[in-house]
Amino acid sequence: MNFSFRRKRISGVLTVVPANERSFVDEMKNFNFPESRSLKLKEVMGYDKRRLVEQNVCVSDLAVCGLEYLFQRGLLCRDEIDALLLVTQSPDHFIPPTSNIIQGRLGLKQDMLCLDINQACAGFVVGLIQALLLLEQESVRKVVLINGDVLSRKTSPKDRNIYPLMGDGASITVVERDTEDSIIHANLKMDGSRHEALMIPAGGFRLPSSPETAVLEDVGDNNLRAKDHLRMDGSAIFNFVQVEVPPLIESLLASAGATNDSVDYFLCHQPNRFMLQKLADKMRVPYIKMPSNVVEHFGNGGSATLPLAITFNLADQLKSGHCQVCLAGFGGGLVWASMLMRLGGLSFCEMIEFE
Amino acid sequence: MNEFLKKIASILEVDDVKGTDEFKAFPQWDSLSVLSVIAMLDASYGINLRAADFGPIRTAGDLWNLVQSRKGS
Repeated sequence: MNFSFRRKRISGVLTVVPANERSFVDEMKNFNFPESRSLKLKEVMGYDKRRLVEQNVCVSDLAVCGLEYLFQRGLLCRDEIDALLLVTQSPDHFIPPTSNIIQGRLGLKQDMLCLDINQACAGFVVGLIQALLLLEQESVRKVVLINGDVLSRKTSPKDRNIYPLMGDGASITVVERDTEDSIIHANLKMDGSRHEALMIPAGGFRLPSSPETAVLEDVGDNNLRAKDHLRMDGSAIFNFVQVEVPPLIESLLASAGATNDSVDYFLCHQPNRFMLQKLADKMRVPYIKMPSNVVEHFGNGGSATLPLAITFNLADQLKSGHCQVCLAGFGGGLVWASMLMRLGGLSFCEMIEFE
Repeated sequence: MNEFLKKIASILEVDDVKGTDEFKAFPQWDSLSVLSVIAMLDASYGINLRAADFGPIRTAGDLWNLVQSRKGS
């Protein structure tokens, strides 16, 4: 499905990461694997440091911290926010929407739209599409898109498939009108028939959490996990990304009349370094144009990893100048989405720590 | 097939692998190796396998036969 948007732009990106840092080497003794194999995993996947919240920290805490930071520095005004979109899979509660909790905690105006969007690792691009659609309305001048997850709280420390790559974090992206006649192209695809590749089986209404769903089970390959935990079929996801993402981006560039060479950076969701380098190889894109260094510093925190790749790698470049960027997100759902835009002239592009 | 076996040996971190060698006999044969093999088959042979496809595969020769049958299709 294709989208295009005129005269709209991203005007600022802030990322919020927990100050609490963990190291792969310190934690690998939790896994039932020989140390040499765990070190091999570290080397191949690029696992090293990651940032995790303390057990009681929620997405709204990270979001409020980031928005207060912007308000205090005059980078954003409370009253100019016409819509607040929160993309998360770890809401504070089932009811009410976490976006409303954030609105209330910050004392934002009533004349606005708050919307929770349940999307996984493609959630930055999906959230941007929703923000841009809202800006088509006369009454919507400025949209705040928040991406955040604290899913480390739902992973088993004894599951080597997923625990060493998980990170937590949030991002705040301001989307507004552009005075220049700019155009943003986007496309996305979804395949719900493959939804089991990434899921938390228990805890919803289909299978409520109970003492049974909290029991750690041997799921093969010496990994232990409960039904309350996030599970990922790593090889199915790898296969999905390598098969579906290159043609998606190819089609996006073709519909925009662009080529690989006209794109300065391919900014992707950051599952791990291995998967991104294989993707770059397949697309014949040099590694320097596709950053893959977020996981080794922060872990994979879901849909906020893409903006983290932006603030970590391109902050100065995007404040003082512009780049042609292709964004790509892919993950649970399954969902894969990409977007081509001129990004730059940002009024803020930075990362802060949540204490 | 020689080239293929060399690539498998490199993933398993051994000097050489024979077609009759069973994957399970190698201590390095784990989910990471499976993923590495999947990535290698994609990059070198343009074949996309899933971990589930490895179910009936016991030996390196079995995998080579699967690669051959997928290439033909």
